[in-house]
Amino acid sequence: MSPRLARIGLFVAAASAPVVFVLVPIAAFLIMSFWRVETSQLVPDMTVANYAAFFASDTYPRVFIETLQLCAIVAVIGVALGYPIAYLIWRQHGRLRYVLLLLFAIPLFMSYIVKIYTMRSILGLQGFLNQGLVTLGILDQPSLLFIYNRLAILLTMAVIFLPFAILPIYLSLERIPRSLVHASADLGGAPLASFRYVILPLSAPGTIVGALFVFVLALGDFITPQMVGGPSGFTIGRVIWSQFGLAFNWPFGAAMASLLLLVAFVVISLAALIARRQRV
Amino acid sequence: MTVLLELDAVSKSYGATEVLRPTSLEVKDGEFLTILGPSGSGKTTILRLVGGFARPTAGRIRFDGADVTNVPTHKRPFNTVFQDYALFPHMNVARNVGYGLMLRRRPKREIENRVAETLEVVGLSGMLDRYPSQLSGGQRQRVALARALVCDPRLILLDEPLAALDAGLRRQMQLFLKSLQRQVRTTFLFVTHDQEEATTMSDRIVVMNVGHIEQIGTPRDIYYAPASRFVAEFFGDNNILGGTISDGRLQCALGAFPAPPALVEGSAALAAIRPEKVRLGTAAEPADIVFTAAVIDVVFAGAITQVLLRPNASPEAIITAKLTSGAAIGSLAPDASVEVRIAREDAVILPAASP
Repeated sequence: MSPRLARIGLFVAAASAPVVFVLVPIAAFLIMSFWRVETSQLVPDMTVANYAAFFASDTYPRVFIETLQLCAIVAVIGVALGYPIAYLIWRQHGRLRYVLLLLFAIPLFMSYIVKIYTMRSILGLQGFLNQGLVTLGILDQPSLLFIYNRLAILLTMAVIFLPFAILPIYLSLERIPRSLVHASADLGGAPLASFRYVILPLSAPGTIVGALFVFVLALGDFITPQMVGGPSGFTIGRVIWSQFGLAFNWPFGAAMASLLLLVAFVVISLAALIARRQRV
Repeated sequence: MTVLLELDAVSKSYGATEVLRPTSLEVKDGEFLTILGPSGSGKTTILRLVGGFARPTAGRIRFDGADVTNVPTHKRPFNTVFQDYALFPHMNVARNVGYGLMLRRRPKREIENRVAETLEVVGLSGMLDRYPSQLSGGQRQRVALARALVCDPRLILLDEPLAALDAGLRRQMQLFLKSLQRQVRTTFLFVTHDQEEATTMSDRIVVMNVGHIEQIGTPRDIYYAPASRFVAEFFGDNNILGGTISDGRLQCALGAFPAPPALVEGSAALAAIRPEKVRLGTAAEPADIVFTAAVIDVVFAGAITQVLLRPNASPEAIITAKLTSGAAIGSLAPDASVEVRIAREDAVILPAASP
């Protein structure tokens, strides 16, 4: 094979990976969302009935909106926890910095299911949190305040997805040259003023990316709501999953998944637009 | 002139490494003082200590009589021009320059006027809305200057601010900085490793080497009377001739030079002779030492021609002569034998080892 042909072959191979693994499945979903189901049989068609059914329903759009709200709050909590952590790591010197960073990144290598069970054993009725509060005398008896409700979903997701908030925030902080912080101090900026006018705006793009990561991951997560959410854990992810796994209405599930994808895409584009205006 | 900034036995160590030996230095009000030295000489350390970006291990720093050794950077009443300019990338020129005034909570109107005024001083009017990424290196340099000048500090620290510019622009900025310093009557404490830059701009120069001061003086003082072998070799070119002190004279292979009485009889010493003081074939004065040498190479460099010579009496010592270009010198061929003269009073006699 000539080098030229080899190069073309290599290019095709490299380009086909995202096509095969990303674009084709998405396209398959989009196409399937226009199909219908008749007596438990998939019928290829070109109907918008699935989308119409979604918007006509008085349950699904509400669940959809509530899920978006939930994920937005998770993203806010993720950034509210992740920013101070990333900032404190950034302020350390030498090896300590990377040791801390690694510590916070370790959960990324752990199984997702294990992490959810861990959170359950912390938040549950016999969990560490309840035991601790009872031991300290703050509670008289273990409470169901932290498990099988919306708060439990928020806390669990925020903790599980925390590394995804910390890492991009840390990276954007690390890209800020020390000389800029020095320059701000040199011109009379007290530490708080330097943070507000220099560090915060320059780390904003990373912070937005971190929030996005958490938001999108939370949007696709249907296991956490099911495991710790109890009756309030009915999110759009679970609805979609049940269309595939229980109701055997794949086209309807595909239509809702496509809408979810569309929302995620719009949110990401908006965030990218905001980040670009920061000029960093 | 009164003393504006005073370093009193200031030293800095990182662990066991002493990057600055106890150093005392006075910066006078209104002068352009340059700290000159190779990398690792401690010059940037001094600037970091004065700016408050590092704390001295020992010693005091006083500004205008007040001890500022432990005052945090943001409360020190002087400003810095950083080597990489350190412009805020998310702010336009107007906000970069006005930053110090904004932090001081000056009225908006006053900030606008002051920013426009300062940008005019540095020759950058009408660039208010540009972002640093849209400016050339020279323009960024001027914005950094304006940002340091805008609060009217009595002292400005400049950390190799011209290092990133190309040669032509650098020369232009040297002259500009000097005239700017005269115009705004602010004290400049300038750090550089470039000897020529230091010579063109400074009122006084502090020459540093491995964490201590070798010599302080005007550019002329340092050029014509280097205090040590390091200064003689680092500050401009010098021919160095080694020898021994005997009968109050430095005896070397090419002749004898009168030595200052401080040099001990029998000790090793050297003569430093500027290349432009070496003459070829002209009429001898009684005070000259004269020797014959072979021409190794003739290098034409415009107004000056550099001739490399190997003295017959001491073939391992290569003497460089810088001569005004002309037909006679242009016709010198390698291997030609020439008569070389050096006036005895043009040699600076120094001890061979640094004190």
